[in-house]
Amino acid sequence: MGSNSLTLAPAPRSAAAEEVRAEVREFLAAELAAGSFTTHVDTWLSGVDPAFSRKLGERGWLGMTWPKQYGGHERTAMERYAVTEELLAAGAPVAAHWIADRQSGPNLLRYGTEAQRAEILPRIAAGECYFVIGMSEPDSGSDLASIRTRATRNGDGDWVVNGAKVWTSNAHTSHYAITLVRTSPADPASRHAGLSQLLVDLSLPGITVNPIRILDGGHHFNEVVFEDVVIPGDMLLGEEGAGWHQVTAELAFERSGPERFLSTYPLIAEFARRAAEGQDPAQLATLGRLSARLLALRQLSLRIAGALDRGELPDIPAALVKDVGTTFEADVIDEVRRVVDVPASLDSPDPLGRALAEAQLHAPGYTLRGGTNEILRGIVARGLGLR
Amino acid sequence: MTSSDVDLVVETVRDILTKFEPFVLTAERPWDAGLWSALAAAGLTGVGLPEEAGGSGGELADAVAIVGALAAGAAAVPVAEQLLVAAPAVLAAGLDLPAPEEPLSVAVDGAVTAEPRDDGDGPGSWTLTGTATDVAWAGVAQHLAVLATSAVGPVLALVDVAGRETTHAANLAGEPRGSFVLQGVTAAGALLTDAQAEQLRARYALARAVQLSAALQQVLAWTVHHAGERHQFGRPLGKFQAIQMELAEMAGEVTAVAALVDAAVQAVERGESLVLAAAAAKVRAGAAVEVVARLAHQVHGAIGFTQEHRLHHLTRRCWSWRDEAGTETAWARVLGAGLLADGPDGLWPALTRVV
Repeated sequence: MGSNSLTLAPAPRSAAAEEVRAEVREFLAAELAAGSFTTHVDTWLSGVDPAFSRKLGERGWLGMTWPKQYGGHERTAMERYAVTEELLAAGAPVAAHWIADRQSGPNLLRYGTEAQRAEILPRIAAGECYFVIGMSEPDSGSDLASIRTRATRNGDGDWVVNGAKVWTSNAHTSHYAITLVRTSPADPASRHAGLSQLLVDLSLPGITVNPIRILDGGHHFNEVVFEDVVIPGDMLLGEEGAGWHQVTAELAFERSGPERFLSTYPLIAEFARRAAEGQDPAQLATLGRLSARLLALRQLSLRIAGALDRGELPDIPAALVKDVGTTFEADVIDEVRRVVDVPASLDSPDPLGRALAEAQLHAPGYTLRGGTNEILRGIVARGLGLR
Repeated sequence: MTSSDVDLVVETVRDILTKFEPFVLTAERPWDAGLWSALAAAGLTGVGLPEEAGGSGGELADAVAIVGALAAGAAAVPVAEQLLVAAPAVLAAGLDLPAPEEPLSVAVDGAVTAEPRDDGDGPGSWTLTGTATDVAWAGVAQHLAVLATSAVGPVLALVDVAGRETTHAANLAGEPRGSFVLQGVTAAGALLTDAQAEQLRARYALARAVQLSAALQQVLAWTVHHAGERHQFGRPLGKFQAIQMELAEMAGEVTAVAALVDAAVQAVERGESLVLAAAAAKVRAGAAVEVVARLAHQVHGAIGFTQEHRLHHLTRRCWSWRDEAGTETAWARVLGAGLLADGPDGLWPALTRVV
């Protein structure tokens, strides 16, 4: 049957996950009550709050699955799933540490040197060290293999990097960029060869971070320009020339989590207030339809967490979750709009109007970031045996 | 039962199905009597029902697997109604289960009232009056579990409908969906709580969701197969990026439905509250039909729009199953209201509990 390569085993039930879920829920209720944050849409991109990230680190909710020797907590992906899901549902400010905890840390664990792991991982787990993704470039979006940022060895065995990366979320508040660079000339016969990942300290001389504002005026994106940046030779991550393979593995983490369908959950929560208040049948039905889609996505994402716990890297199912999930995130806006009479405005006196505005202005990004849905569907088509 | 037992049951069903091709259902030939006999002879119409009640034993998972395999095969037999809905309800109500080889269906729609003929306490004898509508396999089923109302609460009654007159209504796939007019019919029955009556409706919805999930997976597989076989412009359809996008979208829907339906079935196996899980599964599966059936027909082209091709056996069923046992809209309201039972702040905790 064609869909087999897309199908994963059902996720096991995890009592430990439900336990930590309850702890996180209690923590978030207390933080909200204390006014330490306010709920917003899409906070894993826009909610940078280092103090909040450190609080999560103190509670052991970052680096959860990593070995204890690197500051981790040796918990399961199912437990981590519960924690991240609760944080997103509450619209908590998790952007500072999100990339580091989600994919850079696991990438370092897999490919980093002992020195890199020992130095950096405990700081990520403490909520003190933040990462950005250095993949896309001005001329390389979906076509990642066409990147032109290049690194060459100098006489001292160090790397000299020139080029530019874009859409680097929160580079202005982060410490490192895992940067995909070309370490040997492009070979038309083998497009994926000659790429490597470098661990780049963003404070090095020659690096300029220029803001790029998104539609709501927010500064999350940046252009990071490298001009003769000298990077110590031992900052190569993994193997020289294995960059493509490493990036692919990283994307399984990047594409499958609950942030791929919960970015607009705070809008659903706000809409639910309206539906509960009025008990309007059409609003209740819309809430039901959205919830059914969300529940299916949860099951898909949980299955991937279960697969990660089994040591698998389910890149094709991850692409599928992200396609279905991010489509849902944007659909939430349209579905809610059809059954309420509330104009979207960031200045609305109505919290539902503000949530609609935030969600709408962020919406184009949902189905672009982390691989466009067209790219993802191509990967799913490969899973169906069509490529 | 282990998963290998489930695989064995599915293997047996598929073996039998190779001898019974789906056909266009008509008033003259509204079901596949031969297939039913073969399934009954193999004991498959009693799976998941205890042996001491006349069933074949086995678990809910086995019954679900059988229903899924039959749905994927567009099998015109009342197995979903019997194994997943009517028989478990009859047993739970303490009524005598009819022999598994005699088709048993269920009626939850219409207006049927029940008057007790005795003290009305526990299983007893009732007089039924009214019309049971949208009865799956009316005219085919020999027994009907009827959800009726009475002055003292909902009643599940077991009516012998063999030979009883029915209207000739059918769903979009030609499956019988007639009505029975009951005028002072005496039947064994038992009082249910409101919650039990709601569970029965939910089980019916979940049964349709199980069928939809299996049928949608098969539609995807057929469509992928077609895209590989059919050549246009010198290439298989599946090599065109536009077609790949459509097939990937179908796969996303099908995979999402399967994950939620499987989880809902597992929630039932664990004995958890069924209503919201079944509502979610039914709504999600029904929503997927829009996308999957539309794109399947689009990719198949004109041949898929004819009775000569097999595709309609499943797409027509899917278009009806999504409306049956409660429409998506009705279940979406139930789900929305149910998730708000603890107020809007209880929405997220409720979502993490449903399945």
